[in-house]
Amino acid sequence: MASSSDAPVWDTFVRRPGDIRCGVETPMVLRDLRPGRGKYGLSHVVGVVREGGGPGDGLVVRTVVGVVLPGSYTVEIVREMPQEIAGTPYRDFYAALQRAAEAEPA
Amino acid sequence: MIFDDNRGFIEALRRSGDLVEVEKEVSWDLELGAISRLACEKDGPAVWFKRVTDYVDEVSVFVNPVATWRRIAIALGLPATATVREIYEAYEKGEGSPVDPVEVKEAPCKQVIRKGADANLFDLPTPMLHEGDGGRYLGTWDLVISKDVDSGWVNWGMYRFMVYDAHHLTGFPRPTSHLGKVFQEHYVAKGKPMPLAIAIGTDPLSHFAAAATYALGGDEAGLAGGLRGRPVEMIRCETSDLMVPAHSEIVIEGEVLPDRVGLEGPYGEYPGYRTGEMGNGILFRTTAITHREAPVLTVDATGYKDDSSTVTALSGALAIKRRLERHGVPVRDVYVPPEGAVHLAVMSVDYGGQEVARKVLQVLTSRRALLSKLFLVDTDTDVFDMGKVLHAFSTKCHPANGIHVIHYEGRANTLTPCYSQAERAAQKGATVLYDCTWPGEWSREWETPVKATLDSIFSKEVQEKVLKNWSEYGFKQ
Repeated sequence: MASSSDAPVWDTFVRRPGDIRCGVETPMVLRDLRPGRGKYGLSHVVGVVREGGGPGDGLVVRTVVGVVLPGSYTVEIVREMPQEIAGTPYRDFYAALQRAAEAEPA
Repeated sequence: MIFDDNRGFIEALRRSGDLVEVEKEVSWDLELGAISRLACEKDGPAVWFKRVTDYVDEVSVFVNPVATWRRIAIALGLPATATVREIYEAYEKGEGSPVDPVEVKEAPCKQVIRKGADANLFDLPTPMLHEGDGGRYLGTWDLVISKDVDSGWVNWGMYRFMVYDAHHLTGFPRPTSHLGKVFQEHYVAKGKPMPLAIAIGTDPLSHFAAAATYALGGDEAGLAGGLRGRPVEMIRCETSDLMVPAHSEIVIEGEVLPDRVGLEGPYGEYPGYRTGEMGNGILFRTTAITHREAPVLTVDATGYKDDSSTVTALSGALAIKRRLERHGVPVRDVYVPPEGAVHLAVMSVDYGGQEVARKVLQVLTSRRALLSKLFLVDTDTDVFDMGKVLHAFSTKCHPANGIHVIHYEGRANTLTPCYSQAERAAQKGATVLYDCTWPGEWSREWETPVKATLDSIFSKEVQEKVLKNWSEYGFKQ
């Protein structure tokens, strides 16, 4: 893993401004920005996001329309989650992700 | 000439001068998308990228197959210079004579077969088309096959799919789409996974049929045969009983999960904007990938004047015409101009007025309301000539009495950029109709203005004399 001073390793999308919560464990989708065939692959994790530096990897935060939020972020991955999240198609994915994280043992 | 596969079509485009072949190595990560986007915006040729970074000598990428009327004409076997009206007529003729598909036992799309863990989606050079998209979109110019488990009806559609990881895709067929309805009613409700096959790079008219606006229960494979004038050859999937076009470049087999989800979007869609639809799609688990040797991945550089602006506009216009006819609207011609991003339609009628305007609005928004702007014109306005349509709108549409609006909820087009996030979430929207026809109650002798054009304000004798002597006056055209 690259340190937070290197190029960002991950990015993530948030639907609303309040959805990016710093300093607390949060279920989230990370997208791999490392070059190669697997670039932009997505994975589900519980991570801690910090603004302005900290442990973990560099993180880019994008809004619901794909715009990059200003600021410097890092993410520390606490644990990985399954790729297939239990939920109902066409319902809110983020709510399903939250439920899955709460159901999992920490 | 009608094409059995994508490669024959590419060869025809090369001969007609409608293809650019890029030999220089190009990155799948935004560079390919940027080139392809600009090609659409310039009404440029189709592009075949021969060397794609990370995939050189394995897979090439062919983009924007039919994003111009010239390429639509070639796909339909017409001269490249055919008019839009001639293209509509050829499509309508083929649509009215469906031909059933035939099953074959061997097929080019089975030259390479990878199943299970060997079926890796990252082995395809799926481009990152727009900066800031939620992912790499594989299903942009595809043919998605599914089946209603109860009735046996097989549906072809064209739906977007995003590469999630090596073995999963997420997609967003609208909940009101044929696939969305069948999935929810016949699979989700029973907790069963829905087998699905995504065929990429088959013959162009099969893709037309997949993208066509067709009635629920319609047979798109038969439509493709009708457009082609001969049957589509189909072969059975490796991991399900679905049948796929034998001459496809790539087939991705799998199942949509009834009780599992993944993130989908956002994506820069056909209206020409990324509207922020994200998170509520469906999750597809890959079971096999089959393809031709050195396959050609076909891609639509989605956005302003993309492939849907011609293909969907073509079949959509004819579907609108048929629906209006069935409901007794005195419709003559319908045009969905590519610049309108399948949000705007122009229709000519034998007579207009309040009653006809209200009926048109009701008929075209009763199930899925994809169009938000409608122009109703008299038959003296050529619907295919947007200059004349703008003239009719500017001069004949009453700024207060000629504007009709209908509001709806639960069936609006969630990709329409002018809707707010809240409206999109509720599928809430509206459609406006601009009545550019003369009021029926106006006396033609006393009240209706007389059009001051050559074909309206002059006698037949004067018209004929002027047209006959036109070149003698010194005009070149």
